[in-house]
Amino acid sequence: MQPNEIKCESCGHVNPPGTQLCQSCGKMINSDYDKDKIKDLMRYDGSAVRSKVRSKSIFDKIWIFFTSVKVGVSIILAIAVAAAIGTIFPQEYFIPIGVDAAEYYQENYGSLGYLYYSLGFHNLYSSWWFLILNGLLALSIIAASIDRGVPLFKSLHKQRVKKHDSFFRRQRLYLAEDGQPDTDALVGAFSKKRYKVKQDDGNFLLEKGRLSRYGPYINHTGLIILLFGSMLRFFPGMYVDEIVHINEGETEELPTTDGQYYVKNEAFTLDTYDENANEVFDQALDSSNQVISNFQTDITFYENNSADIVGASPELEKVDDYSIRVNHPYRFDDYELYQSSYDNSQLKSMTFRLEDADGNTVGENFTVNLENPEESFEVNDDISVNMRAYSPDFQEIAENGTLVSATPVPRNPAFVFEVADGGESELSLLQIMNSTDITQDNDYSIRFVSAEEHMASVLTLKKDLTIPFIATGFVIFLIGLFIGSYVNHRRIWIRSEDGFMLAAHTNKNYFGMKKEINEVLESNGLGKVGDKLDDEDKDIDKE
Amino acid sequence: MASQLVSISSTLLYVAFILYLVAMLPLATSIKSKSNKPAKIGVTMVIIGFIMQISYFILRWIAQGHAPVSNMYEFITMFAIMIVAGYLITYFYFKTNIFGLFALPISMLLMAYGSMFSREVEPLIPALQSSWLAIHVITVTLAYGILSMSAVAGLIYLLKAVPATEKSWRARFLEAIMAGIVTVIVFIGTTMIMENVVGYQDDFLYTDKQGQNQVAEYHLPSLINFEGAVAVEHTGDNNYEEAQHFHTGINLPPLIDSQKLNTVIWSVILGAIVYGIIRLILRRRIIAVLKPWSNKADLNLMDEIGYRSVIIGFPIFALGGIFFAAIWAQIAWSRFWGWDPKETWAFITFMFYTIFLHLRLNRGYEGEKSAWLAIIGFLLILFNLIAINLLVAGLHSYA
Ligand code: HEM
Repeated sequence: MQPNEIKCESCGHVNPPGTQLCQSCGKMINSDYDKDKIKDLMRYDGSAVRSKVRSKSIFDKIWIFFTSVKVGVSIILAIAVAAAIGTIFPQEYFIPIGVDAAEYYQENYGSLGYLYYSLGFHNLYSSWWFLILNGLLALSIIAASIDRGVPLFKSLHKQRVKKHDSFFRRQRLYLAEDGQPDTDALVGAFSKKRYKVKQDDGNFLLEKGRLSRYGPYINHTGLIILLFGSMLRFFPGMYVDEIVHINEGETEELPTTDGQYYVKNEAFTLDTYDENANEVFDQALDSSNQVISNFQTDITFYENNSADIVGASPELEKVDDYSIRVNHPYRFDDYELYQSSYDNSQLKSMTFRLEDADGNTVGENFTVNLENPEESFEVNDDISVNMRAYSPDFQEIAENGTLVSATPVPRNPAFVFEVADGGESELSLLQIMNSTDITQDNDYSIRFVSAEEHMASVLTLKKDLTIPFIATGFVIFLIGLFIGSYVNHRRIWIRSEDGFMLAAHTNKNYFGMKKEINEVLESNGLGKVGDKLDDEDKDIDKE
Repeated sequence: MASQLVSISSTLLYVAFILYLVAMLPLATSIKSKSNKPAKIGVTMVIIGFIMQISYFILRWIAQGHAPVSNMYEFITMFAIMIVAGYLITYFYFKTNIFGLFALPISMLLMAYGSMFSREVEPLIPALQSSWLAIHVITVTLAYGILSMSAVAGLIYLLKAVPATEKSWRARFLEAIMAGIVTVIVFIGTTMIMENVVGYQDDFLYTDKQGQNQVAEYHLPSLINFEGAVAVEHTGDNNYEEAQHFHTGINLPPLIDSQKLNTVIWSVILGAIVYGIIRLILRRRIIAVLKPWSNKADLNLMDEIGYRSVIIGFPIFALGGIFFAAIWAQIAWSRFWGWDPKETWAFITFMFYTIFLHLRLNRGYEGEKSAWLAIIGFLLILFNLIAINLLVAGLHSYA
């Protein structure tokens, strides 16, 4: 059963079902609205809102569900509460890399932490249910906006100037005078305040700031674009987030660029504030440890001219020099390179000395380059040290006597050195902090002197093609938000046939509107408008 | 030279505080007075104080070379200044005398609280070296200042609308807010007195989460301490000797900052005692005492101000707290949004005010309901500003 169209008794206009105020003359033709929730009958200019028109099809039921502000607010609340839960313990991306998450949460936060982990709250913001909540939010915004936006747009476009008496009386700001004031002067004064004037005999409609009414719809549109944009990240090619680890002086290919771009780390610098910094910092620098003032990687940026030739060795052409610092990433194509951190944990070389049985150093110290070690070192004219085996990341000694390496990275180097002084050769195994004689009764021992580390810069390579969508969405959101909030839609109806009547409505800021109207009225020798809210004696303190 | 600027700027801030305190008198008189004079005197004093605070801001900026919004002291002070700004805007638009009487104390409490953090001038770490620091923080605090006005309006509304002797939840909640304010005052007072006047200090050596040895300076007797804490005494030059200090023996794992918890527990205990004494002296609820001050308020106007502050403040918050924040995060940390706790709570604040607007516009949440929501919003801002900065050591943590 479809609800009926409503014919206005006063002017005969036929209104769509559910209309509350006659679209033509503004008389109340349907008092069936929830006065508790819709404080202002003029919210949608009294026009029919689709979801409020009762209907029984499944589509209508789903529609009504999503248009409901109660449902919308519940979704927003659910998202906010979920977001808060996600901050109780750190999310997984904040815990140290490489540790077992289950153990970490159990160990650090006890059984509550383990429960948190088991429920998947450690990856809350990328969980399926959090995404679904956001999807529901989008649906709700779309449905609610269409539901109210369309009738609102229509009724604002076909406003009639002439309104029914009851329409005047129902407005919050209302003034009736017995005399016959100079309406033209009054209307002129309002149009100086940038009101647009429409006239129908002795009836006037003054209006400004209508755009304000579309603010929420503009901002909701922006939100939809934003939500849509953030889903784009799941499409391949839209998003790159890679760590690039480059030792000082070395050149690395940038991942995901198909070998097209290379970056050389010319130098990495880490500066701290020193005494020469601004004197006002003296006290702070005294009392705390060193404060870092700058992380910087000086890079040379290369393009590979033979990138498209399969199997060709890179043919690098210098494109640019740049100093990447925090807050100053290097941009190229759709990519950006950020200073992320640094790493000085990797060993570059180790220096040793040879000691005889009496504990005296023999000859010169020798330095082993861990990346590309030499085979033999002349300590002095007679004695040389030969490296018989080397493992960058020592794990164990294999059965055949060679050293097994866990990884090719020099984290835990081990060596088998042979000391040859012309006589019997002596072998010993050296590890960090440890040395073992392999041959018996060695005369010589090799002692660790020092180690040098690589200074590697850790850069983040980022490409995010979703940003233009998300930024556009948010800018539209902000524009709509400012329009809806800072612009007020003000309308004044004046009738100067059989007496004088004035009524006014605004969607926001009655206080400001009252001030504006009263100023104009006063300068035209009229009294102030009455405010229904002031009249309603709402005084509650009856102590 | 620069150091002198810093001390001049701190003095200005101090004088402004005193000025606000004194201004309370004419402001209070203005409510009952028939003449407009007390209000004028009060507001003039506030304007002078505000100009001093702005001068503090500018001088400190010049002296340290970056906007003074980079640590807890500067940040909370900025918020307090913006509350005064919000008050002045509200006053000149709505011409309501009663507003200052409730807005100023909140600002003064924040100023006092802010001054408890280190006031040293500190150089900026690389991530903060950006003009976005000033742009982002100034817009966010401005938005906070304006949004706070809705809570002030809400508070005045509730004080007038809720019968003070009523045996109801709403009256109890309102009274609980007053008890909370008493506790905060007691907390600030005791901490300052014990630290600066009495000079109470017990040092405890403990091992923190990272397994590093740390010394906790207790300015209040230790009720709660760190697991394995040892009472020590500073013998100069970073040397410590074992000593005897008062301690109840209750220890908690290093996950919880026992030192802060100790202060919180003391504040709650002392706050409850002071509140109890106040009740014994007054023989009624605090809200009953404050009520006469709110009775002159126009409820409809308070409701209007409450809504207007959110309407004006919310877009600025969205701009500064979300949009500018995202731009800066993209430049500094390579991602515009990373769900770190601070970002997440800004998002929650945003969502909360979204709910406020929708309930108000579409479900008739006006008057009392709206006033309660405005107060919750303010508590959320405080939580965001203070608790998150102190509790969570994240990228954003200043302290
Ligand atoms: C994060 C999500 C959302 C944001 C930021 C948002 C923002 C806004 C804002 C700022 C307004 C104007 C409020 C005012 O002027 O007082 C508004 C109005 C409105 N919103 Fe939303 N909104 C969101 C989600 C929703 C949802 C889920 C619904 C669904 C039911 C909804 C329905 C409405 C309606 C019906 C209006 C009134 C429109 C009018 O006055 O013509 N909004 N929204």
